[in-house]
Amino acid sequence: MTYYESEVLKLKKIMYPNSGQLDAIRGTRNYLDKNCSEDLNLDVISGARYMSKFHLLRLFKKYYGQTPIQYLTDKRIEKAKACLKTGMSISETCFAIGFDSPSSFSTLFKSKTGRTPSEFQKSNFHNAGLSLHADLASS
Amino acid sequence: MRAKIVGVPVLDQEKALEFYTTKLDFIKKVDVPVGNDRWLTVVSKEEPDGAEVLLEPAPLHFEPARTYQKALFDAGIPYTQFNVDNVQHEYERLLGLGVEFSVKPTEMGTVKIAVLNDTCGNNIQLVEML
Repeated sequence: MTYYESEVLKLKKIMYPNSGQLDAIRGTRNYLDKNCSEDLNLDVISGARYMSKFHLLRLFKKYYGQTPIQYLTDKRIEKAKACLKTGMSISETCFAIGFDSPSSFSTLFKSKTGRTPSEFQKSNFHNAGLSLHADLASS
Repeated sequence: MRAKIVGVPVLDQEKALEFYTTKLDFIKKVDVPVGNDRWLTVVSKEEPDGAEVLLEPAPLHFEPARTYQKALFDAGIPYTQFNVDNVQHEYERLLGLGVEFSVKPTEMGTVKIAVLNDTCGNNIQLVEML
């Protein structure tokens, strides 16, 4: 066993002694992944896991380093990027990932990625075009 | 200011390019001659607009870099890590391609990890969020 592996196993015992708690929080993340397009808030999320919302908030942050809502937002932005790359319109993308307002979606998208959804979409079409040219040139 | 490059020191750039493209499934992005070496980057096939991995020949030209790389390698410490959707699946796929692992898939709280040898002087950790 390498020094690194022995340190990992040592830390695992110290950091994750409560497997029940860990399972519950991993289950919450799984729930968020599967339902990220739904209308979720802390009450809904904690209700789905039969936990008090303050307990859930504290544990999720302890294990994942961010709150469930922060995690959900990041997940939705990743999903939005995937939708925009397929050519889906901004408003379709907005509704597909569980937002009600295209303008608040655009503001959030820009704050998280540094680009507006349309700028992101344009740069991806540009990159896809470059990649296609490179493929054609090398074939 | 933007973070676009992740540097990975390699003992042989051509061998590294072969390993990172044929085993890890990256694709070559930039390859420019620099003296006797190359500015050589690869990107994830799943995320070609993501960060570029710079396969840099530092250990060949700067002894402290070689010493540091070897010390990390001997201790089994990963130089860097890449995210995957399923560590167990990647472990089996890469084993089938002859890749060696110093850490088999292991759960570590909210992640599952495995550590492989990139054959160019580094341990690389694969990580799956759980």
